[in-house]
Amino acid sequence: MNTITPHHFLILAFLLFGVGFLGVVIRRNVLLVLMSLELMLNGINVALVAFSRAGANLDGSIFVFFIMTVAAAEVSVGLALLVALYKKRKSIFTEDMNLLGN
Amino acid sequence: METVAFIVLLLPLLSACVTLLFLRKHGNVAALLSVATAGGILAFSLYLIFAGGGETFAWEATWIRMSGWELSFGFLMDGPARLLLFVVSFVGFLIHVFSLGYMADDDAKARYFGGLSIFMFSMLGITLADNLIMIFVFWELVGFSSYLLIAHYYSTNEAAQASKKAFIVNRVGDFGFLIGIVLTYWAFDTVNLVEIENQLKDIVSWNLENPQNQILNPVTTALCLALACGFIGKSAQFPLHVWLPDAMAGPTPVSALIHAATMVAAGIFLLVRIEFLFTAQALSLIAILGAGMGLYAGFCALVQRDIKKILAYSTLSQLGYMAAAFGLGMPGLALFHLMTHAFFKALMFLGSGSVIHACHHEQDIFNYGGLRRKMPLTAYTFLIGVLAISGVNFLSGYFSKDAILLSAYNLNIPVFVLLYAGAILTALYMFRLYFIAFEGEARSKNAKNAHESPTLMTAPLLVLAFLSVIGGYHALFPDAIVGAAVPDLTVVAGMDNHLWMIVLGTLAWIIGIVGAKNLYGKVGQTDPLAAKAPAFFALCRSKLFFDDIYDFYVRRIQDPFARFIEVMEMLFISGLMVRGSAGIAGLFALLGRACYLGKIHAYAFWFIFGTLGFLAYAVGFFGN
Amino acid sequence: MSGPDLLFYFFATLSLGGGLLMVFSRHPVSAALFMIVSLVGVASLFVLLDAFFLAILQVLVYAGAVMVLFLFIIMLLDVGPGGAKASRLKFISGVAGLISVGLLVVLLLDLGLGSMDCSECSAVECDACGESAAFAWPEIRDETAANGNSLIFSPSVKAFGFGLLAKYMLPLQVAGFLLLAAMVGVIILSKKSTREGEG
Repeated sequence: MNTITPHHFLILAFLLFGVGFLGVVIRRNVLLVLMSLELMLNGINVALVAFSRAGANLDGSIFVFFIMTVAAAEVSVGLALLVALYKKRKSIFTEDMNLLGN
Repeated sequence: METVAFIVLLLPLLSACVTLLFLRKHGNVAALLSVATAGGILAFSLYLIFAGGGETFAWEATWIRMSGWELSFGFLMDGPARLLLFVVSFVGFLIHVFSLGYMADDDAKARYFGGLSIFMFSMLGITLADNLIMIFVFWELVGFSSYLLIAHYYSTNEAAQASKKAFIVNRVGDFGFLIGIVLTYWAFDTVNLVEIENQLKDIVSWNLENPQNQILNPVTTALCLALACGFIGKSAQFPLHVWLPDAMAGPTPVSALIHAATMVAAGIFLLVRIEFLFTAQALSLIAILGAGMGLYAGFCALVQRDIKKILAYSTLSQLGYMAAAFGLGMPGLALFHLMTHAFFKALMFLGSGSVIHACHHEQDIFNYGGLRRKMPLTAYTFLIGVLAISGVNFLSGYFSKDAILLSAYNLNIPVFVLLYAGAILTALYMFRLYFIAFEGEARSKNAKNAHESPTLMTAPLLVLAFLSVIGGYHALFPDAIVGAAVPDLTVVAGMDNHLWMIVLGTLAWIIGIVGAKNLYGKVGQTDPLAAKAPAFFALCRSKLFFDDIYDFYVRRIQDPFARFIEVMEMLFISGLMVRGSAGIAGLFALLGRACYLGKIHAYAFWFIFGTLGFLAYAVGFFGN
Repeated sequence: MSGPDLLFYFFATLSLGGGLLMVFSRHPVSAALFMIVSLVGVASLFVLLDAFFLAILQVLVYAGAVMVLFLFIIMLLDVGPGGAKASRLKFISGVAGLISVGLLVVLLLDLGLGSMDCSECSAVECDACGESAAFAWPEIRDETAANGNSLIFSPSVKAFGFGLLAKYMLPLQVAGFLLLAAMVGVIILSKKSTREGEG
């Protein structure tokens, strides 16, 4: 790791975040939207760990631990909601979830 | 002493509250409670009158305190207050008793007696009050209770309209009164009657002692005329007299109590209370107005067919006499006439109530006739009233009215001419009423079947008739009651032309009685005057077009103006300010609503726009 | 280029490529599998950063539990490619997404790289900032230590546990409670939906 700096990790992290966001924006399958959200969280995790390692400070890594916890909880609840929604609407596409519109 | 005053004041209020809150369904209990209250008021009032031994009694306590300004609640028992207190409590009690008989068959007795109690409370408040603001408060309360009682038969259109008319016309006068109170406070920095009087006395005595550097007297004619507006409204004087005849739509005892004996007399009482404020110009104006009213109302009374309206116009005329007496600088005479008038006018109103009761609410005198044989007690007591008001020698009206005429003769000839013509007219229309209603043959089925009223109604008549006979001998009354009237009566007694006045006064009622006998001795269903002098009759019937003028004013000037204001209100306040501000909020709401597309992707885009905005701010895109 | 550098580029490509393929794959199952590839790449990057415990957690929790849950749901709901309707990207939506994502990344890079202060990220001299190659990662020791209020970075699990149970005791409890709440919520959601389905 002579030429690799925290900058490299940061750029990677932002790119991962961007790809995840792209998925959130353009995919219409709620499952894939949720997965993309996970990817965004992973981008953040990479950035946090890189900072933590570069600053020799464990706090950032511990924060990643908490992010994982929250992500796991989020995914479980989100998927349960999705199943409930699917039973009602027979669809997992975002354009079918427009109760507020019109 | 103040405890007794409080009892007198609060007893009727308590009775009204109990009646209106708990006894709505128990008319008979309410009636008895109200009469008992009236009796209690009478007892305590007599104690209040005599306990002081004729001394002026004043007591006050702070009522409302606002930074540096203080309104007190107090009692002032001086001569005029004692006289009016006697009249109110005594006549009030008799009328309560009479009401027991008159209203026996009424469906809404509780409401009626509750209203009477409220009225007694307000009227006693005016009598006892020691400052102008307190008087004003009770002034409005009597107006309100008068409104309630006029509208007792609220299901009839006439009563509903009359109550509104009385209330609104009184508002006009009270507005002037309010302005007068403000002016008084501005001039004297107090509204307490005694303090104002003392200040004035100090100013006058200072000016007498120091002719070089005079203090400007703060009293102006405008001030006293503004205060007199209250009197004009409440006593139904020109030009606000239009409400009183219409107010006869209420039950007859109410007319007797409120619209003859006490409330309308409160206007005179107010004048007497603030007499020291009046300037010579204001006094002469009131004298002329009062005398004119005495004559004008006489003409109106001459052509009325409704027994109560005749009495109402007669009341207007007599109030004009009192105002004239006051205007001549003889407030004691006004008070004395107030008292005798309360006796004989209450007597006649109650007599008419007895007749109306007997004839099943028939009020047209041309449908009566021959009632003297059917109900002799009512007829004879009524005749005493008629004789008294006409000024027949040695009855009560003779003393009070001829005293006024004599002082007018000596002080102000134009006023005397008006008043004397009024006196002849009074005798004429009162005997017209008597001859048509009580003599001759019965002209309707109701009149044929009439019979004497129960004792509850005739007993008050007898008492009042007795007082109408002897009421003029002021020496018979305790000094505590008539003390306020005695000095002026003594002055009149010392005036010239006594004999001449007796001749003139006697002539007046003889002319009246003979004229009435000739004109109305034998009548059918129509007024003989209409056939003999149709133009005069029509002019009198029109009451000089006052109602039409007011109607025109309201319809053509006030209503369009109100509509104009309404449009302005709709445009600017309701439209621009209320709807406008709501519209701005609504605009933001629309903007917010436009963001709710109902599509998750749209929200994601909002999210990214927000993020981009924050980031742009963080990297200094906006120049920070 | 040394070995660890090559490893970084390899795993970076793995995670980024896996993510891109996940986003653009038609079938949810293949998307989930690409996602696992991406997550494993990220886990490897954690290893490169000496965060071994986090790497293991990443594989166990994300690649293991979460993605299995995703696959389970995909199979439960039996969602296929979704046909023409679901797979067809709206052109305008795609363009807007790309532009906004591009803007986002540019701004993030600007913020993250432009404002990075070397004195914060490194203990060594600041003239190294100009040349990225001259950056020196701080030395790490395999022991638990604290520097004032902040914990010293250490690859050991022991240090992690010490941090969690000492400094982050309350957040740990809250996280546990959050997981409990999520569990209860999921149970209630599933129960309610079945009851409604029956009713």
